[in-house]
Amino acid sequence: MRITYRLLMRGIFLFVAAILAATGPVLAVEKYSDPSSVNRRIEQLRKSYPSAVKVHKLAVTPGGREMLMIEIGQSGTAVPAVFVGANMSGITPVATEAALSLATRIAEDPLHTSGLTWYIVPVGNPDAYARYFNTPLWSDPGNGRPFNDDTDDQTDEDGFNDLDGNGIITQMRVKAPDGVWVPVEGEPRLMRKADATKGEKGIYRLYTEGIDDDGDGEYNEDPPGGTNVNVNFPHLFRNFGRRSGLYAGSEPESAAILKFAFQHPEIAMILSFGQTNFLLSPPQGGRKGSFDSNSIRVPQDMGRMLGIDVSRPFTMAEIIELVQPMLPAGMTADESLIASFLGLGAVVNPLPEDMSFYNEISSDYKEYLKKKGVTAERFDPAQPEDGAFELWAYYHLGLPVFSMDLWGVPRVKEEKKEGSGITVDDLGKMSAEEFTGLGEEKIAAFLKENGAPAQYNASMVMGMVSGGQMKPAQMAAMMKQMPKPGGNGQKADMKKGDPKESALLSFSDSYLEGKGFIPWKSYNHPTLGEVEIGGFAPFAGNTPPAAMVDSLMDLHIPYIFELVKRLPALALTDVKVTDNGSGVYRLELWVANEGSLPFPTAMGKRNKVPAPAVITLEGEGIEILSGKKRTPVAVVGGLKSVRYTWLIRSTGKRTITISLESHQAGNDTEQIIIGG
Amino acid sequence: MRSKRTFVITAVMALTIMVSQAQEVKVPLRFDFYYSYEKVVEALKALHSAYPGMTSLDQVGKSEEGRVIWALTINNPATGEPLTKPGVYVDGNIHGNEIQAGEVCLYLANRLLTYYGKLDDITKVVDRNVFYIIPVVNVDGRAHFFADANTPSSNRGLRIPVDDDHDGLFDEDGPDDIDGDGNITTMRIRDTLGRFRTDPADKRLMIAVKPGEKGEWTRLGQEGIDNDGDGQVNEDGEGYVDGNRNWGFNWNPPYVQRGAGDYPFEGTGIKAIAEWMFARPNIIMVFAFHNSGGMYLRGPSFKAAGELPQGDISVYNYLGENIEKIVPGYEYLISWKDLYSTYGDFTDFTNNLIGSYSLVGELYQSATETFNGSDRLKDEERSRSGEPSEGERQRLLFNDNVAQGELFCEWKPYKHPLYGDIEIGGWAKMSTRMPPPFLLQELVHRNASSVIFAAQYTPKVAMDVFEVKKIEGDLWSIRVRLINEGAMPSVTYQTIKNKLYPKDILSVTGKGIKVISGGELQDPYTGLVSYKEFKPGVQMCQVPGFGKIEYQFLVSGKGNVVLKFESRKAGTTTQTVPLKEKVQKK
Repeated sequence: MRITYRLLMRGIFLFVAAILAATGPVLAVEKYSDPSSVNRRIEQLRKSYPSAVKVHKLAVTPGGREMLMIEIGQSGTAVPAVFVGANMSGITPVATEAALSLATRIAEDPLHTSGLTWYIVPVGNPDAYARYFNTPLWSDPGNGRPFNDDTDDQTDEDGFNDLDGNGIITQMRVKAPDGVWVPVEGEPRLMRKADATKGEKGIYRLYTEGIDDDGDGEYNEDPPGGTNVNVNFPHLFRNFGRRSGLYAGSEPESAAILKFAFQHPEIAMILSFGQTNFLLSPPQGGRKGSFDSNSIRVPQDMGRMLGIDVSRPFTMAEIIELVQPMLPAGMTADESLIASFLGLGAVVNPLPEDMSFYNEISSDYKEYLKKKGVTAERFDPAQPEDGAFELWAYYHLGLPVFSMDLWGVPRVKEEKKEGSGITVDDLGKMSAEEFTGLGEEKIAAFLKENGAPAQYNASMVMGMVSGGQMKPAQMAAMMKQMPKPGGNGQKADMKKGDPKESALLSFSDSYLEGKGFIPWKSYNHPTLGEVEIGGFAPFAGNTPPAAMVDSLMDLHIPYIFELVKRLPALALTDVKVTDNGSGVYRLELWVANEGSLPFPTAMGKRNKVPAPAVITLEGEGIEILSGKKRTPVAVVGGLKSVRYTWLIRSTGKRTITISLESHQAGNDTEQIIIGG
Repeated sequence: MRSKRTFVITAVMALTIMVSQAQEVKVPLRFDFYYSYEKVVEALKALHSAYPGMTSLDQVGKSEEGRVIWALTINNPATGEPLTKPGVYVDGNIHGNEIQAGEVCLYLANRLLTYYGKLDDITKVVDRNVFYIIPVVNVDGRAHFFADANTPSSNRGLRIPVDDDHDGLFDEDGPDDIDGDGNITTMRIRDTLGRFRTDPADKRLMIAVKPGEKGEWTRLGQEGIDNDGDGQVNEDGEGYVDGNRNWGFNWNPPYVQRGAGDYPFEGTGIKAIAEWMFARPNIIMVFAFHNSGGMYLRGPSFKAAGELPQGDISVYNYLGENIEKIVPGYEYLISWKDLYSTYGDFTDFTNNLIGSYSLVGELYQSATETFNGSDRLKDEERSRSGEPSEGERQRLLFNDNVAQGELFCEWKPYKHPLYGDIEIGGWAKMSTRMPPPFLLQELVHRNASSVIFAAQYTPKVAMDVFEVKKIEGDLWSIRVRLINEGAMPSVTYQTIKNKLYPKDILSVTGKGIKVISGGELQDPYTGLVSYKEFKPGVQMCQVPGFGKIEYQFLVSGKGNVVLKFESRKAGTTTQTVPLKEKVQKK
């Protein structure tokens, strides 16, 4: 059958593509490219593949730089698309390399653009990214918009100063009566906060390297740098936050992306290369403000309208039941309508239905890394900041969004302490017997490691699991939603300082010839007197040495091609006509989603932004008795099917053309004969 | 689809409207009719050409359909450049149907210009302030409100298509003027099982049946057909993106609030106005006119914003309590608390991101349409939706006897393609939310007076160097006072709280002059000063409304000292003071 063939071909294409990409020729990266070199490389790519690659100038930054977007594909807006935003903060050089590497691999192999268009923005914040190539070197995600950070009488008047002349802005430590910092025991290069509760007294004050240029008593309080594009998007936008911009979309960079995304309903997936990694750390919930659909407080005036006692909370289902009869005919009360009716506000936590694919893909990605021989443990990637690109893409576009940070500082291998030896992911795969078989001691250790609330002690949890009230998988899902102790799963030893800093220092010593950390050196400061200048070099913690880039790309980029195989792909299947007599026929069909991602996501269902897939019946001489000529398709879960039926009257033998149209999930057509 | 016959009738109607509105536009402007979008533009051009020196006419931007959004700036160049004066911004008609807001703006401009030099109060505000007037924000909406069939409430939004019923088609099934009378009214069908029966007091009204009573009517909603054949009538009309939910402060997406638009400033005209305002940082007072209800609303527009700073509330209360007297019957209210929460609305934007005091004027109260000898209906007599009351009966009598039937379209039979024999009738487009033209004059005058009143109380800062004292040798002490006669401070309290922009600057400079110390004078008798440790010659300050601040500087040197007060909203004041003894005057 035609459909099966199409899907099969697509599968083969992607499979072949994945193999080619893994071994295909990709230009070697010797050093990171500054924004103008990036634009030259983009132009070069266009010249090399003129039939597949188009370049769009999306915006000109406040600093006068061009923000380019690469379009790769043969079919433009007629097929689903993946939008890739990289280096939105401008402080993640490796993200830009990843975008360029991805673009090159796609352009080199037409199989990647079979039925798929790619929109790739390699540098979402060119102004901030340009600083990576400046001397002195410092890291700031602000674009080139002048901004008066300290709301005084001057703008951008007190930035950093390279006092020691090494071309790198680090820190200054000064012994001061009001110091709060002390050196880390055993590693005096690192600093930690003195613990006043243990009777410790601080020794040092820490400043960034520089002088008080404007003589206002503050150091480096108003450096150049305006808005961080990556916190300028409309979901959880922070008014008057640091570097957040005047309003969501106030910057040409973010405004262009907002506009482009809404003009392109074919965008079916968003990838973000930058500071977060949804493949390793799926989006986290637990934010305040999101309502619990099982316990909604109804405001008094609404309660009066509905004729209910508002002293008790209601479930979403109950409210839908109450509201439905009050609506005009044809209007359906759904969660989205109720939420806006009750003023429940914006969704701020990933919806549980969507977490199931995030968690599944995360496990798959970890397996993938294992198979690739990646065993080094790294610190958990950061979660997105308020107003971030990837948050907006999920909450406002309602699309599946995946992010990658491509590299992280490896953890220092420590002597294995007696611990549980299992992770939350391990737990998710265990049977009840396997779990209880771990024994109380290991389970207690596991709960402690993962910061389970004290009331969940080992014996109680074992009781619940063996009694069947809770499955290990459910428990794992719950634990993934919990904040992790010490931010990173390991209980931090205060005296040893920040474990991330220790790990970075050790990485710098072993792999960067110490260049990631500038040793403290004394300096005579004009206003602070005797100080020491030193500390971590900017970017050391998030930017792998350029020599590592190629192997990182070979490792991570092929997984993107695995991800896009999961895109929802709708097809009409099992079309059937039943003769009900008297010229009346029942038409029945299934809409099958051959992709493993749902269409739309639960968030997309809530915000109603993804354009609906629509089934249309066309045919002469037929009358639809029940059902519609145009039927919007509801949610079709990943690898699931949904059935639709119509009652049709036909006087003779007629042909009905059934078409399924969707910007994001593909098109399909079937013809059937009815009557006669 | 519209029948050919309907089209002809509509065309004839449109022509009649055009002819009846072919009033000549000349200065002074008349206010006994409503200006179409084209007439508004003509009126602005007429004002500009009558007063070319006092006005400038800007193209702020263009709408989705390419219409120009015009702004008239009134400034007397003899008293200074616009940016040096407290700016008063006034707009209207952000909702396309709320048309008399545009007339209030035109009237204000007309009043200021034609009475300049004739009335002292007008001359003073024109000389001291700059007025920025955008009579029509939603230019497409106004144009379509006049040209198309509408209800008094339809055509609010921007011309951005939205798939309201999420079926993949955009704006495919809006109301239709099926009887071709230029109004979208309501449809009803005879139905003995219906929930309504004829009101015995006025057969044009329907009242709900009580249990046991026999029904007579079923309401079928707004005039229209099922254009897209999906089994629903009028479920996906024009838009809807609400221009007043699309601004960039505390914006929330459409699933949280209908009409928000896909992202802040999606509306091209809305974005253009925002940028035009950002280029005029002197705007301290904003009025945005709407209809209806008879209210002046201040922010915040949503509960979670918390209350405004007390200093700002005092300013609003002063304005609001006086405006309630200037426009009797109108109430001064708090937007979220007394009305409902909104996100991304205009005045929250101006209050927070322009740093201005901002009021929404909701023009007109239909309760003034009476036929019982009283000026207005009492509150409890106002009509409630679905339940005709004395209020609606009174309004119909007003329609019959005072407006000669202009406001209500009588029920008429119609053969509907879906419902069969029905009746169509109800309140006309030009009714309910706006006064009939003979009542317009008072409305525009009183509400324009609110604006002129507020302009009189914009910050007015004077500098008084009230003491210069020699301490020893070249060391001098200077005391300076900044006095504000306006009700509004020179920087809003909200601006300071948000750190939107730097506070005003009081600086001391001079050739060979060194500022040794400086700070706010807490007590002029004891000489208590809160000294600023760094950069004492630059003091960041705010001059409160109806108030003063005093500073003391110690300077060393000879000759003249220049004291300068610079404010975005209150202009710049400079004094050059010689370093010689000057005793405090009382």
